[in-house]
Amino acid sequence: MLISFGNDIDEEVNQVAIAIHRELGSQSFEGFVESVPAYSSVGIFYNGEIVKQSNPTCKTAFEFVERYLKNILDKLSLNDLKNINSAIDVPVFYRGEDLGFVAQQHQLTTDEVIALHTGRTYKVFMIGFLPGFAYMGSVDSRLATPRKDSPRKIVPVGSVGIAGFQTGIYPQSSPGGWQLIGQTPIRIFDITKDWPCLFNPGDIVRFHSISESEFAELNEY
Amino acid sequence: MSIKILKPGILATLVADERKGFRSIGVGPGGAMDNFAMTAGNYLLGNSEREASIEFWFPAIEILFQRGLVACFTGKGFELRIDDVPLPLWKPIEIREGSTIKLVKSSSGACVYLAVRSGWKAQNWLGSFGTHLGVKAGGYKGRSLQINDIVETNFSETEVGETKALPWGISDHELRKVYSPSSEIRITPCIETELLTSLSTDRLLSDSFVINSQSNRMGYRLNGLPLSLSRPMELISSPVDYGTIQLLPDGNLIILMADHQTTGGYPRIASVIKADLPKLAQIMPGEKINFKMVSLPEAETELCSRANQLAELKTGCQLRFNDYFK
Repeated sequence: MLISFGNDIDEEVNQVAIAIHRELGSQSFEGFVESVPAYSSVGIFYNGEIVKQSNPTCKTAFEFVERYLKNILDKLSLNDLKNINSAIDVPVFYRGEDLGFVAQQHQLTTDEVIALHTGRTYKVFMIGFLPGFAYMGSVDSRLATPRKDSPRKIVPVGSVGIAGFQTGIYPQSSPGGWQLIGQTPIRIFDITKDWPCLFNPGDIVRFHSISESEFAELNEY
Repeated sequence: MSIKILKPGILATLVADERKGFRSIGVGPGGAMDNFAMTAGNYLLGNSEREASIEFWFPAIEILFQRGLVACFTGKGFELRIDDVPLPLWKPIEIREGSTIKLVKSSSGACVYLAVRSGWKAQNWLGSFGTHLGVKAGGYKGRSLQINDIVETNFSETEVGETKALPWGISDHELRKVYSPSSEIRITPCIETELLTSLSTDRLLSDSFVINSQSNRMGYRLNGLPLSLSRPMELISSPVDYGTIQLLPDGNLIILMADHQTTGGYPRIASVIKADLPKLAQIMPGEKINFKMVSLPEAETELCSRANQLAELKTGCQLRFNDYFK
């Protein structure tokens, strides 16, 4: 089942999606499997036959889940919408192939691009596309740059990019169309960990600039 | 106890039940393309549904059984020959040490599962023994099986003599409930269904679509008359699932399959009902499908009857197995 709040990107709407996801993570119904928050929607996955068995008076499992979720939505308070997590710090060596292009687009120096990118915190709106790929935002309007016209065949793991008002990190090497401004030496997605992803939806992230030698020292790949 | 892969076909991987609870960090459930065949194979051997199974795709597969094992092949479209003697799918088989197994493409169908009594030795990643090829984790070293790979079983308590099929299995009648011979795939409406033009809705429900050769475990691409929305729209990324049918910018459709991404940005114009996913998984590129819209209650009823079918098989087979090897 999908709860959709429209097709707009709005931080408050996204926070409601994340709050529903968190609420279901701490308390849910018999047959619930998992939920996925996105920009302005939440996907709810459940085992239809278990839901039906546990609620024999409901005509369908869908009907029960729908009612359950409406209840959660009604009860959401402003407190649930607050973020309590402290910022996750991500070191970046700003040497991406598109750093010059992004600077040029906005008549900035590359140092100014770095200062603007590291100058604020970002929220993880959602994770998707690849395991661990966090869509974060919003970047300073002076950095917002559309995706490349034709995607690169291979974007190296750890690349930090910009697409429109979003910023993100490639957790694996993959094809991709984001404007690459730098690279992080740390593992965003580590299959050897019980919870392999450094981020969760709703987390706050801050980037800081490191030198080439620091990059080499911290390199986890 | 082990087997050696002599010919893996185009793709052979260890698959298992779905990986649950990690979609929110972009890790999809994966699992078998044909969950019915995989689960039935385990149940026919008295295994739990959690054991890994090997999923083989056409065309020709060859396996050496280095030890005697009790195994079961389930799926569609293959003929099974053990040392050149034909044996049935969907039945547990005692297989003699040193036997060579060949699976040869025959009738319609696309993949076949090999389950073994007590299960295959597989890496558990995030709660499932299935392989995640994208991040190279789980299953057999996080990768697909190659020539000369040796896959081991967990343990074996059964002595195997001559090769023979055991006296129980699934009836054709039961199988027809899952894999009906028609080209019909049942769907339910999805969030963007209403945005289709009325001509496109007609086409979706009355035309045939052909699965094209660019199809794989991530998605089945369809060829047909192009569909369109009444007003063009660019969607922001939103959750998707196995069976979600998306409309691509060129007007063609893609059905997301077991290894789909967790989120997607194309309009979702329908969802294949869960009960019909095994049947869809067994349709080969080049074959036609037709969509039929059904109600949500009907989709749920079908899902429950499929679950009951498997539950009955589980109890029945456990009894048979315990009796036989007492």
